[in-house]
Amino acid sequence: MAKKLMKGNEAIGEAAIHAGCTHYFGYPITPQTEIAEYLAKRLPEVGGVFLQAESELGAANMIYGSACTGTRVFTSSSSPGVSLMAEAMSYIAGSDIPAVFVNIMRAGPGLGGILPSQADYFQAVKGGGHGDYRCLVLAPSTVQEAVDLMVDAFDLADKYRSPVMLVGDGMIGQMMEPVEFKPRKQVALPPKDWATTGCKGRKPNVITSVFMDPEVLHQFNLKLGAKYEEMKKHEVRVETYKCDRQMDLLLVAYGTTARICKTSIDMLDELGIKAGLLRPITLFPYPEKELYATAKKASKVLVVEMSMGQMLEDVERILKGEKPIEFFGRTGGLIPAPEEVFDLAKKLVKK
Amino acid sequence: MTITIGNGVELDRRLFAFVGNYGSGKTEVAVNFTIALSKVVKPVAIVDMDIVNPYFRCREAQEQLENEGIETIFPKGEYFWADLPIILPQVKGVLERKNGYVVLDVGGEDMGARILASLDDSLKEKDADYLFVLNLSRPFTDDVKGCLETFKMIEDAGKIRLTGIVLNTHLLLDTTPETIYNGYTKAREVAEKSRLPIRFVSIEKGLLAKLDMSQVPSPVLPLERIMRHPWDMKPVCRFGPKELTKAADLNQKNRKKS
Repeated sequence: MAKKLMKGNEAIGEAAIHAGCTHYFGYPITPQTEIAEYLAKRLPEVGGVFLQAESELGAANMIYGSACTGTRVFTSSSSPGVSLMAEAMSYIAGSDIPAVFVNIMRAGPGLGGILPSQADYFQAVKGGGHGDYRCLVLAPSTVQEAVDLMVDAFDLADKYRSPVMLVGDGMIGQMMEPVEFKPRKQVALPPKDWATTGCKGRKPNVITSVFMDPEVLHQFNLKLGAKYEEMKKHEVRVETYKCDRQMDLLLVAYGTTARICKTSIDMLDELGIKAGLLRPITLFPYPEKELYATAKKASKVLVVEMSMGQMLEDVERILKGEKPIEFFGRTGGLIPAPEEVFDLAKKLVKK
Repeated sequence: MTITIGNGVELDRRLFAFVGNYGSGKTEVAVNFTIALSKVVKPVAIVDMDIVNPYFRCREAQEQLENEGIETIFPKGEYFWADLPIILPQVKGVLERKNGYVVLDVGGEDMGARILASLDDSLKEKDADYLFVLNLSRPFTDDVKGCLETFKMIEDAGKIRLTGIVLNTHLLLDTTPETIYNGYTKAREVAEKSRLPIRFVSIEKGLLAKLDMSQVPSPVLPLERIMRHPWDMKPVCRFGPKELTKAADLNQKNRKKS
């Protein structure tokens, strides 16, 4: 298929179809509405179901219902809408079923603003909903990567019977880049013998997240915990940039912010300041070992986010005080400029 | 009076509206067109009429436009970033002026074009050029059928009749000469079926220098990339208005670890 120029949101919609997703339920909110708009046109063309729900609560619970039948299904929203979906996400995790969520993050808290942000890191990585559950969280930094990760998201959800979330700041949804849809990798996935597809001739499948017996619920939580440990072992993804050397400074950033940092690193190179970038592609599971090992080669660490410092807490946790850690954040919809990161990095290295 | 801008782009009207699908390049074309126009005639005003998309709008090129002496009309201050259906009173004013040139950068698709219908009273007096910005590498306008459907959708929503096509086929940094040549061949078919002329082709300056223009026998508007990504080094126009990108840094006191 020839390359197409696509907006991140459209590309995410098309990638879902490419991954065999047949059902989408959602509710519009800037800056991700084009996902719904695109699928409203495209899903009927491929015999799928598009439904605009009455609210995000409705949409997320429709995802829950649809996922129970074993269909590939997803929803998308932006920050305030994702808060409304958190309950269903916890139920989906608690029912051991796969579903894909997309959060094109906007500035918060509250209704906030419609411009890009990365302030939903805690929500995506540390919970959002209640209970001991995790989402596998994927964070693309280009539109092409959003396409590739979106396709993988469905396989990962099916593999682990778990909610998987793709997070991008508003820029990922709104910017345009050329993309291609590569032939899908054939992944061996477990059969969906748990799905509620009509029980003629077999024992009924019951899907629920209610466990009245504490021992049974405890066992279920242990099973979930083991699943998250498996994710940590097998699903970590990370990119490093100019980290194959001793560094004056290691930058840690994800999504759009990582691209900004790369520009800053190239600018620093011209001054003879050696900086590198570690970009987590999976936010959960976090590239813990990779960060720890890479930071060993750097004198200082600088975390850059479009937030007041959320991923920062994971970096601090992983580096255990062994390296000085600095932070640069922009919020409200402001995007750090490469020159700003460059200026700060210069100062930090001089110190 | 006929004037010429770019490489042989002839214009005989004073009001130009750029319409098209989301992401077809309306804003990039409109901003470049307006700057080229202002080098030939004065006064020139540009109206950002994008009420549907909050990112990458021509208001972000405010500084550059105003440096060229171009009047810019869009909500300023805190409503700069709003995706609200705000039509400033100045819009009607500028449309009813007896002299000067006006460029309208209209929002995407039928939703965006609807704003033209709401200004029908002011517009119908005018003999306006309604130019459809077409990128054949975009979804929904990548074949003749899709283009014809989109033309009709926008004409109906805006209560307008298109007067021409601006061919803006590209893949950003992945654009090759073939992208342009193949786009031109396909666009000819679209032009024939729709009976709309290809008024001009917009091509990024660096690429233009490498092209065999006998394969693109139409007037050309050379494009300077103005709308850039936030990670581009020293962009012409950073994402966002100047006063916002220089806003007070909330994180002056960088957290320190001893």
